[in-house]
Amino acid sequence: MPVHTQGTDTAGEPAVRKAEAPSGPRGTTRAATASRGRRAAAAPYLLLLPALLATLILLGWPLVKNGMLSFQNLNARQLIQHLTEWNGAENYQEALGSSEFWAVVQRTVYFTAANVVLIMLLGTLIGLLLARLGRRMRLLLLLGLVLAWAMPVIAATTVYQWLFAQRFGVVNWVLDKAGWHSMADYNWLGTQFSTFSVVTLLIVWQSVPFVAINLYAATTTVPKELYEAASLDGANSWTSFTSVTFPFLRPFLYATTFLEVIWVFKAFPQIFAINEGGPDRLTETLPIYAFVEGVGNQHYGMGAAISFLTILVLIVITSYYLRAVIKQEEDEL
Amino acid sequence: MKRSPFGRIWPNATAVLLFVVFAFPVYWMFATAFKPQGDIISEDPVWFPTDVTLAHFDKAVHADHFWTLVRNSVTVTVVAVLLSLVIALLASFALARMRFKGRRGFIVTFMLAQMAPWEVMVIAIYMLVRDSDMLDSLVPLTAFYMMMVLPLTLLTLRGYVAAVPKELEESAMVDGCTRTQAFVKVIFPLLAPGLMATSLFGFITAWNEFPLVLILNKGIEHQTLPLWLSQFRTAFGDDWGATMAASSLFALPILILFIFLQRKAVSGLTDGAVKG
Amino acid sequence: MKRKLIAAIGVAGMLFSVAACGDDGGDSGKSAGPDSFKGQTLVVWTMDGSAPADWTKDVQAAFEKKTGAKVEFETQKWDGIQQKVTTALSETNPPDVIEIGNTQTPAYAATGGLAELEDLKKEIGAEWTDSVNQSSIFEGKQYAAPWYFANRVVIYNKKIWAEAGIKGTPKTRDEFFEALETIDKKTDAEPIYMPGQNWYFFDGLIIGQGADLVKKDGDTYVSNLADPKVTAAMEIYRKYASFSTAPKDKDEATPQQAEVFAKGKTGAFIGMGWEAATAVAANKAIEKDLGYFTIPGETADKPEGVFLGGSNLAVAAGSEKQELAKEFLKITLSDEFEGALAKANGVIPNKKSLESNLAGNAVAEAAAPAAAVGGTTPLIAQWAAVENTPNPIKAYMTAVLKGKAPADAAKDIESEINERLAQEN
Repeated sequence: MPVHTQGTDTAGEPAVRKAEAPSGPRGTTRAATASRGRRAAAAPYLLLLPALLATLILLGWPLVKNGMLSFQNLNARQLIQHLTEWNGAENYQEALGSSEFWAVVQRTVYFTAANVVLIMLLGTLIGLLLARLGRRMRLLLLLGLVLAWAMPVIAATTVYQWLFAQRFGVVNWVLDKAGWHSMADYNWLGTQFSTFSVVTLLIVWQSVPFVAINLYAATTTVPKELYEAASLDGANSWTSFTSVTFPFLRPFLYATTFLEVIWVFKAFPQIFAINEGGPDRLTETLPIYAFVEGVGNQHYGMGAAISFLTILVLIVITSYYLRAVIKQEEDEL
Repeated sequence: MKRSPFGRIWPNATAVLLFVVFAFPVYWMFATAFKPQGDIISEDPVWFPTDVTLAHFDKAVHADHFWTLVRNSVTVTVVAVLLSLVIALLASFALARMRFKGRRGFIVTFMLAQMAPWEVMVIAIYMLVRDSDMLDSLVPLTAFYMMMVLPLTLLTLRGYVAAVPKELEESAMVDGCTRTQAFVKVIFPLLAPGLMATSLFGFITAWNEFPLVLILNKGIEHQTLPLWLSQFRTAFGDDWGATMAASSLFALPILILFIFLQRKAVSGLTDGAVKG
Repeated sequence: MKRKLIAAIGVAGMLFSVAACGDDGGDSGKSAGPDSFKGQTLVVWTMDGSAPADWTKDVQAAFEKKTGAKVEFETQKWDGIQQKVTTALSETNPPDVIEIGNTQTPAYAATGGLAELEDLKKEIGAEWTDSVNQSSIFEGKQYAAPWYFANRVVIYNKKIWAEAGIKGTPKTRDEFFEALETIDKKTDAEPIYMPGQNWYFFDGLIIGQGADLVKKDGDTYVSNLADPKVTAAMEIYRKYASFSTAPKDKDEATPQQAEVFAKGKTGAFIGMGWEAATAVAANKAIEKDLGYFTIPGETADKPEGVFLGGSNLAVAAGSEKQELAKEFLKITLSDEFEGALAKANGVIPNKKSLESNLAGNAVAEAAAPAAAVGGTTPLIAQWAAVENTPNPIKAYMTAVLKGKAPADAAKDIESEINERLAQEN
């Protein structure tokens, strides 16, 4: 089936039209052209069909189901006996009315912001360092980055628990030997701040390689002439970064920041496995909160309601970028 | 521009330091896995295991149904990733190269789809699968894993497809290729690195997935490796040696895959990255 | 009002499902004999470590001999077990028999997921020890059968005790404290390892004081944490903890107290029998120094109260093999196999008469005397929610150990407990 698109033709790029004209089979009748046109118009939709179907069935359906559950009183008993007990917006009222929920929202936003800033900052710096290193050193650093990046989350989380273990953990030992003796038996999971520190370290450690390696890859695509021109203008390394590298990388940095916001916001195994949202539920972010309230306490309707609110918060946070994308898509093609 | 000796040394010194920081947890995992129990819980850490034991690996591998779990994990991961690549490639071609009504809507849909909090949707998914009588099967599991990685795969691939110069495709068509042929012969080979880079995300995600398999597949013959990994962490605390041995085995395939694909992936990312 | 309505629906649903299954079972039950069950397979879920391999094999053989059916044991991991059991009970083809933790049994009974076992109790349960059968009873009816139990003992380092010049083992709490004091003075060892959140040991002290963690307030249960008897238990705990440098905000599993003990610099700890094996695994040399004794109480004639951990066996209400499942329970809980399990695992059996199987097992012999004065956490369906992580009672313990007055600490935490107790089921 020739996947010829009339659609691209109308994109208004002369080059495309010129190229297409001779490629069309000679001697086609008007009718044939018209039917081809219809088929061509359908082509993008046909190409998108599998993805859309998958999304509809595998994501849309569970979301709708989740939405329905969020208006139910669904606990272990109702689940086991297949009972449906609608309770209106009670779950939402309870969630939105509790100060705990809003504290978790606030905490999640701060946590996400702190992590994303750290990841982007360190990732960019390391990416630029990669560009500056000699070949051998670059390979060494790349190897380290790839090891951290490729480490499966569950394995990584387990290793971090072990590194920061109170009695035989190597971190405490090092701090103790370095002269900070009060850290000899320090309990990293004892306070909100120290638990978040471990979680942040873990997430940053795992996420920086993605940013750094991509950024390095992107810098290799910056045309050399731009730098030459800049240095002719007397730019030092900082100004050539701000005037050449940065503008060139901006779309990449935006896209990556967007992804990191989503990933950090949704981070689940890292936080849950390290300390189950403890101590005293003080490190629960929204996904953990939804899980503990829903699955942990077996109040599945409540969990569903919170998970919906979680999605809403995430959309609000990323709306700025989403709007920009929509605008940009208008201009493109 | 001349650099002082300090200016020459610090990037290298920083690189070495960073290497240690990033690689150490991975090293420590492997090192612990090979140490006898006494060395693991010793007052002073044993930095380089001299007294090497395979006991922890032995324990890890001899867990019930280990090889069944390996087979399931590999099957589910590979099929899910391949499916998502095929589906995403078709869609990304439409999104990157064609103009049609609703295009923006589709892109935003997939961007939103990326935000789905899967961990907290498990009960809804469970009830759907249960009521469709498909529990204890690898099919729904594979399908959902495919869906978890699809949005990102699709959006990333779109960047790669868009980065292939249109002129290449056009000149192929000038030479008499149909658009399909142009795609297969010209664009696809150029996309290979991008496909590899993209598949890495998929592999990691599907390989790691835990909450869904836990609730959907209760029979051990339908479970996957993450569940095996978690069994060394019991209600009574952790057996660090066995846990690290299991973690090592669990991480190894992905580590190898990454190091193997790294160069291609990096060059692939170069193309995709600019377009973002 | 609404709660009552929901409860009514629940009971109706329960009766319905039990009745429906009862019919199926009834038909085959009439001709109960090797042939009627032939070709069937009963699925039994046991927790990791509960059923030893040899014992399992013997039970399978006896079961097949008696009923003609097979029984398949599926070992369950602890990770995510609550979710697994809940969802399994909701499926059309649930496991037929499930091992359920004794403290969780009332909550599961309340969901309607467990079959009622009144007649089984009448048939084989006359001698079941009261203290261990309590958890199987929900709203006056039997919903599970007591299987095996365990409680904490003092595990001590004989070498350190000898070094401190202590002879024999303490018979009262005061003697125990004196011994710890002596160790503190005469050796450089930590007298006892007692982290701030060994909550089940605390629960034992509460049981020893005859206190309850909840009380009835009209129709609902509310926290009783501020009760002076609970405070008295906490004061005893505080005294124990004063001999330890263990973290005040951790429980006994992080780090594993047995591994700390294994280093040979700790005089004693209060733990389960299997923790001795953990210690030996960490340090082989500790094995010869290990000793055990019953946690001493106020007076020499009555040991300290203990939390009786353990498991019951329950039949899924949705199982289509009700009669076969009961046959399985009769065999498993028979004197022969109940005794054999006690012997093999060193656990406390469901009957006093079977405790002779523990002879020669030092840990079990130290544990058994306390079983009769043992208890559990409050046996109400709502209690499970209180113990969900993060357990507010652990927060209470940490607060008190860090210097807060027990009454104030209780006040801080009670609203959280009450909120959890009030959750709808």
